[in-house]
Amino acid sequence: MSFFGFETTLPRDQKGSRGVFEQHDPFAGLGSSADADDALDFDQTYDGLGDQLEEEGDTFNDDTFGSGMPVTRQAGRDFDFAGETAKIRDTLLEEQTLHHARMPMQQAVQQKPKRSGYEAYKQPDYLPKLEADASIWGTSVAKKSTPQAQQQYQPPPQQQQMPPSAARKMMTLEEVEAMMQSQPQAQATPPVQDMESQSQGLRAMLGVSGPPPGLSPQPQQQQQRGPPGFQRPPPQGPSPGPQPGFDYNGRAPQILQRQHSPPRQQQVQQGFQVPTPPQLMGFQQPPQGPMGAPPVQPPRGPGHARDSSYSGPPITQAQQMMQMSSQDRETYLAEEAKRAKRNHKIFLLSKNNGLMTPQDKNFITRIQLQQLLTATGGIDNEPGSEDQLAEDFYYQVYAQIRGPPRSGPGQPLNQFAQTYLFQTGSRYGYGRSRHHPRGGDNHVQRMEQQVARAVEAAKARPKNKSLVMEGSLGKIAFSNSKTPRPLLNIKRVDNDSKPRKPVSVADRKETLRSIEKVYSTLMQTEDHERRLPPPPNEDSPPEIIEGHMRWRSEMAELNQQLWAALKVMEPIQPNNGAPHPFIQILSHSKGKKAIPRVFRHLDEQQRLTMLTLVIIHLDVLDVVRDAYPPQDNTPIPPRVKEEVELFAQAVMPPLFSYVNEAPLNIIIGLLGLVLDRVNILAAVRTKTGVSILTMLISRAELVKQSLASSPQPTSEQQEDIGQWTDLYSRLFDTVEPLLPYIFPTDTSVAAADDVYVWQFLAAMGVGASPDQQQRLVIGVKERVMETVAVSKSLPEDMNRKRLGDVNLFMRAIGLDVELLG
Amino acid sequence: MLFFSFFKTLVNHEVTVELKNDISVRGTLKSVDQYLNIKLDDISVVEEMKYPHLSSVKNVFIRGSVVRYVHLPANAVDTPLLEDATRREASQAASKAKQSSS
Repeated sequence: MSFFGFETTLPRDQKGSRGVFEQHDPFAGLGSSADADDALDFDQTYDGLGDQLEEEGDTFNDDTFGSGMPVTRQAGRDFDFAGETAKIRDTLLEEQTLHHARMPMQQAVQQKPKRSGYEAYKQPDYLPKLEADASIWGTSVAKKSTPQAQQQYQPPPQQQQMPPSAARKMMTLEEVEAMMQSQPQAQATPPVQDMESQSQGLRAMLGVSGPPPGLSPQPQQQQQRGPPGFQRPPPQGPSPGPQPGFDYNGRAPQILQRQHSPPRQQQVQQGFQVPTPPQLMGFQQPPQGPMGAPPVQPPRGPGHARDSSYSGPPITQAQQMMQMSSQDRETYLAEEAKRAKRNHKIFLLSKNNGLMTPQDKNFITRIQLQQLLTATGGIDNEPGSEDQLAEDFYYQVYAQIRGPPRSGPGQPLNQFAQTYLFQTGSRYGYGRSRHHPRGGDNHVQRMEQQVARAVEAAKARPKNKSLVMEGSLGKIAFSNSKTPRPLLNIKRVDNDSKPRKPVSVADRKETLRSIEKVYSTLMQTEDHERRLPPPPNEDSPPEIIEGHMRWRSEMAELNQQLWAALKVMEPIQPNNGAPHPFIQILSHSKGKKAIPRVFRHLDEQQRLTMLTLVIIHLDVLDVVRDAYPPQDNTPIPPRVKEEVELFAQAVMPPLFSYVNEAPLNIIIGLLGLVLDRVNILAAVRTKTGVSILTMLISRAELVKQSLASSPQPTSEQQEDIGQWTDLYSRLFDTVEPLLPYIFPTDTSVAAADDVYVWQFLAAMGVGASPDQQQRLVIGVKERVMETVAVSKSLPEDMNRKRLGDVNLFMRAIGLDVELLG
Repeated sequence: MLFFSFFKTLVNHEVTVELKNDISVRGTLKSVDQYLNIKLDDISVVEEMKYPHLSSVKNVFIRGSVVRYVHLPANAVDTPLLEDATRREASQAASKAKQSSS
């Protein structure tokens, strides 16, 4: 049989091949190697040895390894290449790496062309399956397997049985020839002058030692020479060196030689073992056999570290075992059994390797990703995106307001998908880079594209879709965690189709609905505000300017909607019993809360309009009407107090900020409205009413003083000041009789929260003429004295606070509480 | 998703989870998911004498469906924001309902 067209007549070839046949006890599962050859990666396993092949010889490859089984079958031999090689393939891989690493050295001694024949033959043993295996198990398995690993597959019992089993089989012609050739070789005596080169060859083979063919002749030789336990080789030992062409495939003879080398060779071996003391130590441990063990133990390459507790030398044949102490042998056997068990497990597992093609895995991954996307409704959870804001508004805004989120924002689906991809990608990349450098990246890219497509598709899919089967009466609704299947599907009447109630008959529900309208418009406006494009400048491209313009026009439209929703411009109907819609909005606490947020989005004119409307209806505001002190001096209900507080906190500040920048004529107009349209008697007895009056008066006084201090007031300003003075006098005259009653009556003087009254009195006192000041003092004198008296009995801090409050007024008219003391 | 969004902001706050079997567990909220499953750390059972078998439990994972109440730390709740979020949720639900019914 001519594999790869090599010269089969060469004795070493035949010997090597025979070794294989004898070694792998054979002999079943022929079919498993059927498709082995066409998937081989020759670049990797072949060391460029193909150069030496005769091209026409390749035509027989199929016959040899593939469909050409009949050839071997005719020979009556069953080769279980796959099974046997799988057991030792890790070692083979390692051997090969080492072999490559030592190639130069080997080449120095051995002639390359001749060396190749045997290894080429070996290659079909590498199943593609096993390559995939390596990518999954990683290198750890391969590293652990040492030359000894082979031995477990040839345990002593098997070795004993081999001769008979081999004898049972019909041998091919070449095997018979090889067997015949091996005998003289094994017995040949190496000439002294060849020892040097031979040892070099040995050294080259150290790492390489142990492929099955190399070991295989051993039992045979034992059989030929005598019983397996044969311990004493002939003194001359087998030495393959001298024969030309022997060394290229001479592993078997070399190993033999190692084990049976004469003393002279031992010296040589020692010589090159010196540089590696740790190994040397190992060799000295086992008990020496009668023949002198050191030459028997093959030196081990650095890559062959044992991971077992058995610290003795590697044992390559049964003969060595006989030389060991019983304890060592036990340890060794136990180790071997363990290793055999493990490797057998790996072998069993490796049967499933390659069951799934990359396409299969790809398919599974796609399904998983699809499910992932459906489960989350395909929401794009890009942080800060509109979708996420819609879905996760509270968390997003809360996180922005209260600092960075504590855990990762959202559940980042995309990130998850990427992580997932990254993991698969790296795994593929790892496996592929070693064996199929071209496939890996491509695959990852494809997966990424798929994910992108899947995300897109999931987004495009309607969130709450239902499937109507053809011809069926019902429809199937799909649901996920975000859009659960609606149990009730009630057809809603469109709100707009309802007849609009006339605003004049506004009731509570209508008002609440108006408030919600305000809020929804407000939130739209705020959303729109967030989308503010960067301000354009002269250099901006037209589309940016255009975008900005569009944004502004939309903003203006939203502002109009908001303004309409506030109902400030609804006509005032004095004859109607119901208050103005805006005032009704203000009568609800959430309406009050909306004011500061709304105020930001209003322009000056709208603000003034709103302020005017509030002031005109000052006496009908709920916080004034409801807070009017009851006749029987009962306390104001807590609910009303809360409303008053809320009004002071929510509505007053924006109004106050506006008034604080208003010119005098606006204040005059507002105060005029108050005097003309408002029941001051009602307003002034409530905290809110007093506060608003204080706001107006104090601002007017400030403006008046700044105008008075200016060197040349214009005639207009003079006119304003004159108008203001008139108005002030009117107000004073109106308020004066009420002065004793403006203080809160629901609590005792000691506990009264009356600072706002003192503020009002102070504001009045600042602008008052001396005559008015005196009238002021007369009006509140009783209260002042009372407060001062009461505060003396109060604790220190309370006392100081109360006196401070009173002093607000006293200082405004040039007095001090101290003077009263 | 409002509840999920809301509970996410309570992570690392102490909450008391009242279960449907009347056990109340107080602990630090570690995480919550879309099913409102809850993970609590450093837990203590409110009526420890009644449930001694829980006295050695340090952290729990509570299936969302068995929760009756969650007692919130008031200062960790932004009420106006929550109101707005509720409005958004309601308007979204309304628009969805309109979509699906039409």
